[in-house]
Amino acid sequence: MTSRARLAWICGGLAAVLIAVALGSLLVGAAPVPPRAVLDLIAGRGPSGGTDRAVVLSIRLPRIAAAVLAGGALAVAGAGFQALTRNPLAEPSILGVSGGAAFGVVVAQVSGLGQGVVDALGLAAFGFAGAVAAGLAVYLIASSGAGLPVHTLLLAGVIVGIFFSASITVLISIVDANRLGGVIYWLLGSVAPIPPGQLVIFTLVTAVGVWLVLGQARALNLLALGEEGATELGVDALGLKRRIFMGAALLTGTVVAFVGPIGFVGLIVPQAFRMLLGPDNRVLVPAALLGGGAFLLAADTLARTVVAPAELSVGVLTSFCGAPVFIWLLRSRVARVEP
Amino acid sequence: MTSLITALALVALLPVSSWGLEVVDQVGRTLTLPAPPQRIVSLVPSTTEVLYAIGAQDLLVGVTDFCDYPPEARRKPHVGDMLSPNLETLVTLKPDLVVATREGNRKETFDQLDRLGIPVYLVDPITVRDVLKLITDLGELTHHREGARAVTHDLERRIAAVRDRVAGRPRPRVLYVLWPEPLIVPGRGALVTELITLAGGDSVTADLGQGYPRLSLEAAVGHKPEVIILARHGSRGGATVREQWQRLESMPAVKSGRLYTADGDLMHRYGPRMVVGLETLARLIHPEAFGQSEAARRGAAR
Repeated sequence: MTSRARLAWICGGLAAVLIAVALGSLLVGAAPVPPRAVLDLIAGRGPSGGTDRAVVLSIRLPRIAAAVLAGGALAVAGAGFQALTRNPLAEPSILGVSGGAAFGVVVAQVSGLGQGVVDALGLAAFGFAGAVAAGLAVYLIASSGAGLPVHTLLLAGVIVGIFFSASITVLISIVDANRLGGVIYWLLGSVAPIPPGQLVIFTLVTAVGVWLVLGQARALNLLALGEEGATELGVDALGLKRRIFMGAALLTGTVVAFVGPIGFVGLIVPQAFRMLLGPDNRVLVPAALLGGGAFLLAADTLARTVVAPAELSVGVLTSFCGAPVFIWLLRSRVARVEP
Repeated sequence: MTSLITALALVALLPVSSWGLEVVDQVGRTLTLPAPPQRIVSLVPSTTEVLYAIGAQDLLVGVTDFCDYPPEARRKPHVGDMLSPNLETLVTLKPDLVVATREGNRKETFDQLDRLGIPVYLVDPITVRDVLKLITDLGELTHHREGARAVTHDLERRIAAVRDRVAGRPRPRVLYVLWPEPLIVPGRGALVTELITLAGGDSVTADLGQGYPRLSLEAAVGHKPEVIILARHGSRGGATVREQWQRLESMPAVKSGRLYTADGDLMHRYGPRMVVGLETLARLIHPEAFGQSEAARRGAAR
């Protein structure tokens, strides 16, 4: 099988999984809507009003779209950061990049950005700026002459993350202490139905971020050989790293702006596919995009059904899955890379 | 003659000395107070409102950052927020009594005040009846019985008036949204649940859970509310939350324009303004009982 055919099979299979999860997610929920009614509404045959319509088309569907976008974006961002740092543990939340993005978004919110389409662009821009600031800070703290030592990078990420979450608490306490509870909840990461205009912005910005990373998948493979090796093979290593960093930061900032800092998706999904499909970024990045969407959607569907009629934050579930994966990786891979 | 004066003086002193034995707070703890309280710090916004309403505001020497009603209350010295009041500031105010609540304040705060020898009077109102009792008790405690009686009479009269207005009318299904994200609603035993019942509505979340449970948006919509009331907290965010619900336009309540916002402080604070909250709810749930036109009703709700 040629590599192109293999990629087509993998993407086709994952797309089928994603569609299946999405259909399943549409059919379940706290409000009892018969499957028949759900299918009718999706096909545009349902009644023009009523509670079922509100539940399926205004609550479940936009939430599913948001979860798929966020999961795909986070997984691609994770794959990007891992290739960039050549560190299997690199991930937006562990690197503190999500924390920076969250700070940016909170700054935007307290300065009055709301729910409109233009506001959505503004929120994403602030999230992106925060993500870039945090990413640069982590890089400057962790880099040494020899490159980016694995453990130093992780510690720098943790510290930067703590710094930004403290900054958020201070900012909210000063500006609007009533909102502190809501912000702490948001920091756990939870998917909510997003209005159509915002969803369009979310999709477009995510597409740009994915393009920045996916477009350089082949060069990223060469970067894995080491910077010098990549340069010898004609790769502009510095330009490549800048582009990947911007792409991953953009994806992280956007996800944080629209659903909050959901952790560990960028760790679990690329790792799983690296084990299943190998390290080729040309396969890994598109697989992470589709698989990440399916994974976060499945997690969010669980989050809104297991304790119904209440709800869990999906970030709590992804952390439950992610923490063991992180520990396992830390004990196995990193130990081998760096004694 | 001298002995008579001595005897009279003794009699006059008796009630004062009995203070040390008499004060039982709202959760049944006995406090030992050397004298009637003259310097009170309130860690509960609703208690601050009660003290002002009964005319005991001069005894109030400190309040929390959340004590914003009546507006004059903001000018009292602040001791910080409800969860982490600044103990040093509190002690410098030399209070002889601190009023606190188990719901909004922390046990650590009471323990610290105990160690400092400052008596803590705990309030724990849950129902409308509890609020009336709280007002009476605070009147006793501060020797403002008349003021307290006037307030409770007014409340009882207005509650009865609302009850008469809505009596016998069909009871619409009401969804009250206390907080939008995460979605928090009033459950069993919440003051708002009782106010909605008194205002002639059926809260769809009345049996959901104790106090103020979390609920998914989908489950809330699935209860098919006929009237939706969004609590507004302060001046911020009300419009945004309203827009979010407005998008669920195929819901009957939204379609028929029965989506309202109302000042949350009137519904959640266990103080005298709860009757304003009750009247607001009744007007929103039964506009026809108050002879309001559709336009006036919508205008008033915003």
